[in-house]
Amino acid sequence: MYTAGIDVGAKTVKIVVTQDGKIVDRQIVSAGQDAQAAIEQAWQSLDTPIADIGLIVATGSGRKSTKRANGYVTEVAAASKGAIKTDPEIRTVVDVGAEEGRAIRIDQNGKVVDFAINEKCAAGAGAFTEAMARALEVDLPTLAAMSLKSTGNVAMNAQCAVFAESELVTLVHSNTPKEDMAKAIHDAISDRIVSMVRRVGMAEKVMLIGGVALNDGFVASLANDLETSVIVPQDPQLVSAYGAAILGEEGNYAESLSETME
Amino acid sequence: MIEMFEEWYKSRHEYAKEWKDKTGGKVMGFFCTYVPEEILLAANVLPVRILGSHEPQNVTEPHIFGMYCPFCRDCLAQGLLGRYDYLDGMMIAQSCLHIRQAFTSWKKHMPPEFTYYLPMPHQVQSPRSIPFLRSELETFKTAVEQWVGKEITDADLDRGIELMNASRQAMRDLYDTRKTANPPMTGLEAMYAAVSNQWIDKAEHTAVVRDVIQKELPGRNLGLEGKTRLMILGSEDDDTAFVNMVEGCGSVIVTDDHCTGSRYFWNQVEPEEDRLLAIAKRYITRPACPTKDWPQRTRLDHVRMLAKQWDVAGAIIIQQKFCDPHELDIPEQRKSLDGIGVPTLFLELDVTVPVGQFKIRVEAFLEMLAEDDLF
Amino acid sequence: MAKYPTETLLSWSKAKEIRETYYKNYAAAHDKGGIRWVGGAWTFDAVPAGLGGDVYSLTSEPYGASCAFNKDFSTRAMEAAETAGYARDLCAYMRNYWGSILMNEYAFGGPFPKPDFIWQDHICCSHAKWYQVVSELEGGIPMFCVDVAVGPAEPFGTLTEAKIDYVAGQILDGIEWLEKTTGRTYDDELFIEACWNDFRSTSKWAQVCELNKAVPAPLDEKTMYSLYVLATLQKSWGVVADYYDELYDEVKDRVERGIAAVPNEQARVMSDTQPPWSALKLFRYLEQYGVVSVGSLYTFGLEGMWDFDPASGDLVPRPMPSKKPTTREEAARELVRWHLHKPEYQHFYDCDYKSQMMIAMCKNYGLSGVMLHYNRGCEGLSLGIAENRLAIQETGYPVMTFEGNMGDEREFDLGRTMQRVDAFMETLGVKKVAA
Repeated sequence: MYTAGIDVGAKTVKIVVTQDGKIVDRQIVSAGQDAQAAIEQAWQSLDTPIADIGLIVATGSGRKSTKRANGYVTEVAAASKGAIKTDPEIRTVVDVGAEEGRAIRIDQNGKVVDFAINEKCAAGAGAFTEAMARALEVDLPTLAAMSLKSTGNVAMNAQCAVFAESELVTLVHSNTPKEDMAKAIHDAISDRIVSMVRRVGMAEKVMLIGGVALNDGFVASLANDLETSVIVPQDPQLVSAYGAAILGEEGNYAESLSETME
Repeated sequence: MIEMFEEWYKSRHEYAKEWKDKTGGKVMGFFCTYVPEEILLAANVLPVRILGSHEPQNVTEPHIFGMYCPFCRDCLAQGLLGRYDYLDGMMIAQSCLHIRQAFTSWKKHMPPEFTYYLPMPHQVQSPRSIPFLRSELETFKTAVEQWVGKEITDADLDRGIELMNASRQAMRDLYDTRKTANPPMTGLEAMYAAVSNQWIDKAEHTAVVRDVIQKELPGRNLGLEGKTRLMILGSEDDDTAFVNMVEGCGSVIVTDDHCTGSRYFWNQVEPEEDRLLAIAKRYITRPACPTKDWPQRTRLDHVRMLAKQWDVAGAIIIQQKFCDPHELDIPEQRKSLDGIGVPTLFLELDVTVPVGQFKIRVEAFLEMLAEDDLF
Repeated sequence: MAKYPTETLLSWSKAKEIRETYYKNYAAAHDKGGIRWVGGAWTFDAVPAGLGGDVYSLTSEPYGASCAFNKDFSTRAMEAAETAGYARDLCAYMRNYWGSILMNEYAFGGPFPKPDFIWQDHICCSHAKWYQVVSELEGGIPMFCVDVAVGPAEPFGTLTEAKIDYVAGQILDGIEWLEKTTGRTYDDELFIEACWNDFRSTSKWAQVCELNKAVPAPLDEKTMYSLYVLATLQKSWGVVADYYDELYDEVKDRVERGIAAVPNEQARVMSDTQPPWSALKLFRYLEQYGVVSVGSLYTFGLEGMWDFDPASGDLVPRPMPSKKPTTREEAARELVRWHLHKPEYQHFYDCDYKSQMMIAMCKNYGLSGVMLHYNRGCEGLSLGIAENRLAIQETGYPVMTFEGNMGDEREFDLGRTMQRVDAFMETLGVKKVAA
């Protein structure tokens, strides 16, 4: 029998199927407007028959939508477990998804020592880069590539996404090179994330997971701000689903959700 | 000559370090303009006001809760980033909670050899505050004496008082030149002069202010006649980019009510035999910070007086985001200025200013004031 | 089977009655020719007591919290304050209170009862300014406010005679002002009695809190909120002082018989600052994990009077003054000396003082961790909270933080906070207890 971890995020649904700690199957689908349908589609598109999966552990902000789940773990626990299982030397996990950013410090056993989550604000998450890319009328890969070519040093105020967008308009009007603006965007979100990392106290090594880890421009800004190298695993967006599956194998999950979440 | 102020504004750290090398004296960083600099000058200490650098940073998050103002965050960042590593001492006079947070965090994590918290009374409208502050000044003087290893005599205090008073008078005279229909200096230049005065050696700064007034300003024509005359008021404000933008829209800023501006130098110490009592009275009766302006709102009359004497057409009320004391004054302040026909524009400052966004509002405000003129 | 026996607190309903009487007394004061005054929960309420037995107060923070319980009322009050031009990030209690005046609605029914005068004290930037605005909104009612911010008390600082002179002097001036404002003759005997009741209430409340060192804890913080509130209403009222005596006996009896507040207590935490009042079910959620919040420096020290002893590293309930004051001057000085030792005043001067007291609580109350409410509704009690977090963590206690607002529920997200609790419980290694 297999174990599955499912991470239901704001933008995507991720599933990882494991056996004895090894990944045997995986799937990522866009969450779209209907989370239930997306989740079902994800299960159906696995190579592994659902009947062969003995235990399903859910995580992510939409974990309550997962009707098939046998257990639940928090995003913090899933990210930590997934990270340390991927690389046992990891002590700080930075998880930046579409709508939430997190910094987690863990010990050698993967136990959470402290964590910080960005408060009600989009300036510390993927949604911010998307909004800024739209303002510059480029797609995300272009934004990342542009940012890596920047030679200037333009500062943006990272406090608020709404303000940031208006600042960007000012920069456009003052003919700031697009490359420098792209870098300023990544620096701004990185400032926000690094603030959280400092709050939990950075310990090496640092792993970046979540969808935003696919953005090279952001990774460069983050490494620069943290003054250390940042490890980005293969498939960074799957790490939490993987962690949930491992916690399932270990029996470390809750069988019911928090009251308010139902 | 007048460019000296801008140079000083931009080279504050280099200046203080050179001053130390040159004099061998101690430098005291201070957080609030209720700090009695007379006593520091009496001990030959250079007081330098700690201000921010208006750059985004990521070092203060572990220390200051998100709803505290960007100014206290920016100040603390300077400490944590080691920009003021030459300070021998650091102190605060009790005013608002936010700047106090910057002081205590800095003290905890990067303490210089001497730190001091002066419990400046809040109830400055009660006569009880004067003997209390006098006694606190006595305790403070003793602490400074122990720190510098030298007694502070009456003659020393007199020297401190004279230096501060001379500087205050010079700054008042400089601001008075801006009352004319064609101000000989811009608001930006005035801001450089006023803010740099908070860390430059007082005698040196006063000498330049006097020179500027006597030799440079007479006959200086910047073509400011006919521009819309504005005042700025509110929280701490040393944002030159902002002032530059406002004046670039066809206005001239002719006066202010900021602790970084006229509030700092407005009134003099009236000398009397008991020097500490004289100093105490000066700080109790100075134009109040909103934290101390109760139960009566004395700021309203003071600001109206400034608006009238400097003949302003409008006022920009700027506050640091989350600055509760100012937020508690602003609705009444706006009504008060409206009452004498001075419209107001309200803006919130962050570490960096979204100049483009603010420019639209400032332009609209100036257009509105121009329409007022037609009727 | 639960681990410990539990019982409801018998004196709970009495606390509720006292609270109701208090709010009714204020509303009805004018019917019998009495006087109504308003001020903060920290004000020297013993002073107006000298004006007579028919003088009733309304304290603003508990009133603001009462508004917060009623989400609809609170939202309308907040909006009224915002419409009047007051910033959304100001003290949430203050905005509930101003909104009540602006809407002319009392949270307990009827129009908002207009006070005859304001008697306030000041240490937080918002204290005096709050009432400056109240005075203006009410059409200029007279206001007196005592500044208490003279620096830390022992052991963190020294209360010099000059400091006592300053605060006590303002009180003595205030008594003359009260006579002039109300046209009444001031009765020193009533004042002295009220001071004595104040000492009794605040000292006894600290003793009640100290009983929570016991395992299992006889009280949980959610219950304590309903009890400490009486001291925030009128600590100088004999009824309140007597009530705390009675409460102490009952809680002591619970300790002796091993009665638990949370029957499956398996871990203990404390919180800090005012909770998000509209979401106290957060504490009920902790119970599912068998976790009891035994209090906080806030519930212990907002009104309770303690001495911090650095040698033993513990907070000790402050002993009553050895004798009753005999003159107005003596009473004023004793009152000032007493209140300037308030634990919740000390952090206004340095976050480190508060960290020391909080760490003492972690050690002496057998805590596993701390949950800090980063309260956007109160800049005063949030002062230094991030440094408290660092200091407590450094001592080895895990800390969870959550952002919220005590009085403006628009700024609190219960669902996300519970998820944070889940993650924190994983850190503490605590699992849900089968119900």
